Amino acid sequence: MNYLDYVSRKISDVYSKSIVLLIIFAAWWLVGAYKLADPTILPPPSKILRTLLELAKEGDLVFHIKMSILRVIKGFLIGGTLGFVLGILMGLSKTAEKLVGPLFHAVRQVPLLGWMPLIVLWCGIGETSKVVFIAIGALYPMVLNTFEGVRGISREYLEVARVFEFKQLKLITTIILPAALPNILTGVRFSLTISWMLVVGAEIFSVSAGGLGDMIWSARDTFRMDIVIVGLIIITLIGITLSKSVKLLETYFLQWRKTSH
Amino acid sequence: MADTETLQIKNVHKTFRVGKQDIDVLEDINLNVSAGEFVSVIGASGCGKTTFLRLLVGLEGEYQGDILLNGKRLNGPSINRGIVFQNHRLLPWLTIEKNVGLGLESKKGNNKAQIVQDHIDLVGLKGFCKSYPYQLSGGMSQRAAIARALVNRPEILLLDEPLGALDSLTRMYMQNELERIWKLENITAVMVTHDVEEAVYLSDRIVIMSCRPGKIKRIIPVPLSRPRDRASYDFMRIKEEVLKEFHLQAEEHFAYSI
Repeated sequence: MNYLDYVSRKISDVYSKSIVLLIIFAAWWLVGAYKLADPTILPPPSKILRTLLELAKEGDLVFHIKMSILRVIKGFLIGGTLGFVLGILMGLSKTAEKLVGPLFHAVRQVPLLGWMPLIVLWCGIGETSKVVFIAIGALYPMVLNTFEGVRGISREYLEVARVFEFKQLKLITTIILPAALPNILTGVRFSLTISWMLVVGAEIFSVSAGGLGDMIWSARDTFRMDIVIVGLIIITLIGITLSKSVKLLETYFLQWRKTSH
Repeated sequence: MADTETLQIKNVHKTFRVGKQDIDVLEDINLNVSAGEFVSVIGASGCGKTTFLRLLVGLEGEYQGDILLNGKRLNGPSINRGIVFQNHRLLPWLTIEKNVGLGLESKKGNNKAQIVQDHIDLVGLKGFCKSYPYQLSGGMSQRAAIARALVNRPEILLLDEPLGALDSLTRMYMQNELERIWKLENITAVMVTHDVEEAVYLSDRIVIMSCRPGKIKRIIPVPLSRPRDRASYDFMRIKEEVLKEFHLQAEEHFAYSI
């Protein structure tokens, strides 16, 4: 295996990953260049770029991004924390699992959009309802993954704790939390990405108060497809960034998980 | 203390409930282990030797009869008994240092860091304090596990096939190490093994167990001076004697036992 081989493999790797994207982009550009579609319905890439720069310069984009991210942080913190606590409790105690488990699994069957009427009735159409909507979505993956993590701990480690006569608190901090950490972080990743998807929905559904969802929905009303597409691209990029960041956290915190000999 | 026996095992029975049936795993076990003695328990797989050791550790719950450690009946696990499991069971998310110090409560007047360091040095892992278990070989991990078991100065060291997962060269080397540590710490040790040579090399006495239910079939003393020469006539003779016990009992179990 030499260096050239490596480089050519790397190039073909990048190539195969981006080829479909390139084709779509080229087609899009051609449609624009030869005026094959109404530019108000499908604006050409150059128009998208101009709109992006315009929005960025006026500060609209930053404002909307900030609003969306703030909502996601609030919703994720509330739902994620609640889910974490619930997952730990259900994982640690069979009684807690029996008490809360069936209800949790029943409620989980309700599609998230199904909650909307209730949320709007109870919390209005302001900021609270958006955060609650996100929090509910963030809750499930956190509960499920944390629970799995705690229940999946090897009996061997629990016996070590018994041999050393660990108290409950030390058992949790020294064995249960670290052993469940891989699952907990997976929970965080799912929870965060779902929160990000839901924020757009939440902003479309209720009164306009900024945010990327609001931005694309209002742009639809004024027939600004360029803004809609800019919004979608930004949403995608931020979503990917969030997921990748948690992945980085995982590799950082789980260095010990490398395979042993 | 009038008794010089560190560990006294009297008429111990252990049954497991499988479905609606009680199955005898251990029957009428009687054994005394003196202070500083090294005793091995050897038997075919499934003869209850691991259950026997887990009883001593306190992980098997209730039993009939009495197991007395320095006169006190065993009831549940305790940090007074050091245990080395077959697979090291180091916590992968802790450094070697933290793993070794796991069972060590900080008491007044004890310098935790120093005790941990001393034990890491004792097992020959100097310089690996900050390593994680995945960075250690099998033999090294087992050394760390031995240090972890000894760190509380337990009254007895219990070893459950501690070298069973190692390759044969590392195993022989670790047998020497185990002997060195045992001598240095002057600790009473009970080891479960399926390796006859290992038992003869390390033990003062070898307890041979028979199967279903697990019973003590014979106890063979090993009156050889240490360090022992694996090639000497006496060593071979005792090894033969142990092996003979398995021949007589059941031909097909012979293969498992070595």
